[in-house]
Amino acid sequence: MNKLTKLFITFISAITLMLSSMSSSFAKVDGEYIVLGAAISLTGKYSSNGVHTQNGYNLAVDRINKMGGVEVQGKKYKFEIIYYDDESNPKRAAQLAERLINQDGVKYMLGPYSSGLTKAIAPVTEKYKIPMVEANGASRSLFTKGYKYLFAVLSPANQYLEVAIDLAVEKNGGKPVRIAQAFEQDAFSQDVRLGILDAAKRTGSEIIIDDKLPKELNDMAATLAKVKATKPDVLVVSGHTKGALTAIRQIAEMKVDVPMLAMTHCDAAKLSKQHGKKSEYALCASQWHKNLSYKDKFFGTGKKYDKDFKKEFGYAPPYQSAESSAALLVFKDAFERANSFDGDKVRDALKTTEMQTFYGNIKFGPGGQNTAKPMILFQVRCKGDTCENKVVAPTKWASDKFYHPIPKWSERS
Amino acid sequence: MDNVKQKDLILYSGLIILGLAAPFLFPGFKVQLTILCVLIVLAMTWNLQGGEMGYNTFGNILFYGLGMYLTASVQVGMFFPLAEWTESGGEKTFVHTTSQYFQGMGVGLLVAALVPTIIAGAIGYAILGLRGHYFAICTLGLGIAAGEIAGGIEIIGAGQGFTTPPFPKDIVDPGARGDFFYFLSFVLLIGTFVFIKWIYGSRFKLILNAIRDNEDKAEAMGIQTMKYKIVGWMVSAFFAGLAGGIMGGLIGYIDSTDVAFDGREMGVFMVLMAILGGKGTLWGPVIGATLFHFLKEGFWTLILGWQYVALGVLIVVIVIYFPEGLMGWLREKYPERFGEVIDEKDRKAQVELK
Repeated sequence: MNKLTKLFITFISAITLMLSSMSSSFAKVDGEYIVLGAAISLTGKYSSNGVHTQNGYNLAVDRINKMGGVEVQGKKYKFEIIYYDDESNPKRAAQLAERLINQDGVKYMLGPYSSGLTKAIAPVTEKYKIPMVEANGASRSLFTKGYKYLFAVLSPANQYLEVAIDLAVEKNGGKPVRIAQAFEQDAFSQDVRLGILDAAKRTGSEIIIDDKLPKELNDMAATLAKVKATKPDVLVVSGHTKGALTAIRQIAEMKVDVPMLAMTHCDAAKLSKQHGKKSEYALCASQWHKNLSYKDKFFGTGKKYDKDFKKEFGYAPPYQSAESSAALLVFKDAFERANSFDGDKVRDALKTTEMQTFYGNIKFGPGGQNTAKPMILFQVRCKGDTCENKVVAPTKWASDKFYHPIPKWSERS
Repeated sequence: MDNVKQKDLILYSGLIILGLAAPFLFPGFKVQLTILCVLIVLAMTWNLQGGEMGYNTFGNILFYGLGMYLTASVQVGMFFPLAEWTESGGEKTFVHTTSQYFQGMGVGLLVAALVPTIIAGAIGYAILGLRGHYFAICTLGLGIAAGEIAGGIEIIGAGQGFTTPPFPKDIVDPGARGDFFYFLSFVLLIGTFVFIKWIYGSRFKLILNAIRDNEDKAEAMGIQTMKYKIVGWMVSAFFAGLAGGIMGGLIGYIDSTDVAFDGREMGVFMVLMAILGGKGTLWGPVIGATLFHFLKEGFWTLILGWQYVALGVLIVVIVIYFPEGLMGWLREKYPERFGEVIDEKDRKAQVELK
């Protein structure tokens, strides 16, 4: 045997040793801790929303643990989360789900950020029969695949901006409108697009621009140039946080006049802070707003959640954080009702969830989506230089009237 | 000759036994081991161009992605209407029976091997005339363009992504899926290794080296370099396509730019792995890929959020301290172990001459 071969064999055995020492000694319930697993985007294109998600999870874990934890069979347990960074990449996310389940012995999962990543993880959790409560995968296709262990606390993506089209038609005196739309090429935004297509069909509206935007978009000038030329009644844009920021920046730069601008992810992008008056009048779909009247015993009202979150993390919570916090409340409730750590019993308990949280009512439909909570729309409004998100629809919670049409740039100060 | 064979025999049979036993020894690591096999295949095939032929390609990801989409499309399309499966919103879900799943996978992989090979031939004919940086940039564009184009084709799910058929429900053992994909990738790895090792003993490899060292001279010697360059690329495409097909089934969800035509990650990794291990050697890519994968899996989670910084540092360290890779470094340090004889007298004589 020559020396190179020996060297190689040493190398292989070193690896073997390394592997066997990394054994999976963790348990689903470790002492007084209930261990949850989560792959979160801490780097990559979803990193800002990934952090919102993680902060939401952490705030809820702290709160629940401080307020007595989870009581199962007369014993108090605390939540603990094992995090990995999925790098905003579905391939990585699926791999990490396997790792959490097989190596870390996790028996309950929290969702990642974005529909695409949830789509990648759901087949894995389904295969191992691991209940997953997710708060950031809204794509409708997640709920039509017959997944039995997937539960989403949010409303499906196609509902995000449907209402906005209805609103536009209403403002147009009930007559169909001309819609220009641009969506990022990803599972979530494409689902929002489906919602718009449905709404357009229903109201007889015409879609005059239907653009696809690349991922990691930093430029949509081509779409906006077309909008300038064709003058649609509504412009719809969806592309996560970057999409929202890019749209506002370029609409202001190019002085694009459009009577109504409907978007997603305005609050995650902190539009009103980052772009101030430039973002005024943008209409945004949101899963949650602090002014809604829901409450629970852990976080109190939405306003209190907003305050606590600001104190802890130094910025106002976007709905991504709120829904993530809600996911843990759902898990706690399910564990206590199941009164067991058995995966299937917890799943059955999740299935029959019916509760109110500060984030909204939660009740799961047959596909696992939350059917008890409507979407809301808010509009960015400014007083002087401070801009705020004001709820304009549905009317039950509307604090302000919907401002329509958006004044032309030449008339804006 | 016999002597060498015997040594090799011990090594190879040891590795094969290790490979066969691995999923049973480390049942929790099956997915990582599967990915390791795929990474080694990608690094080895990249090495054919980047290492042996001197053509730094970023385009091999094209074949990997194609293989992935083709396998999944065939697997679904053979039994069900593909357009309804991938229709955005996915209202309809079809369930593969066990035999349909494996039949589809088999035919899918066959297509995933052949089509990229043909495409490599066609594209190669068009662009392998470019040299150096021009070739690298051109292939980089290929990968990116493929991702964007795939993201616009409705029948393969476009921006929504493509959920590959779930593993048949009749097989209740949750470990079976892991075993299936592991052994599939392991067989691919062995096949790739054997084929490339065979190339290493052939005139073909010498011609690739001649192209790397001086293409004009090689041509002047009467070698039809274009022909060999194309064939070399087709070999890479064949195995990369298969690797992609397996990965698609394993991951279960194909996204145009993040999973299939993932030039930013896989496309760069395959280059990095080959360089780390030592390009232009048979074992270099194998060692490089293994080491890289272990570094990545072992340390990635310890430095949560900083892993790409660490990767950047790793690249810098490799380029500065191991420009020839680990194998190259070892070879320089211990040339006699690589069968290179240094004539001490001659060396001394040369020193004295100076």
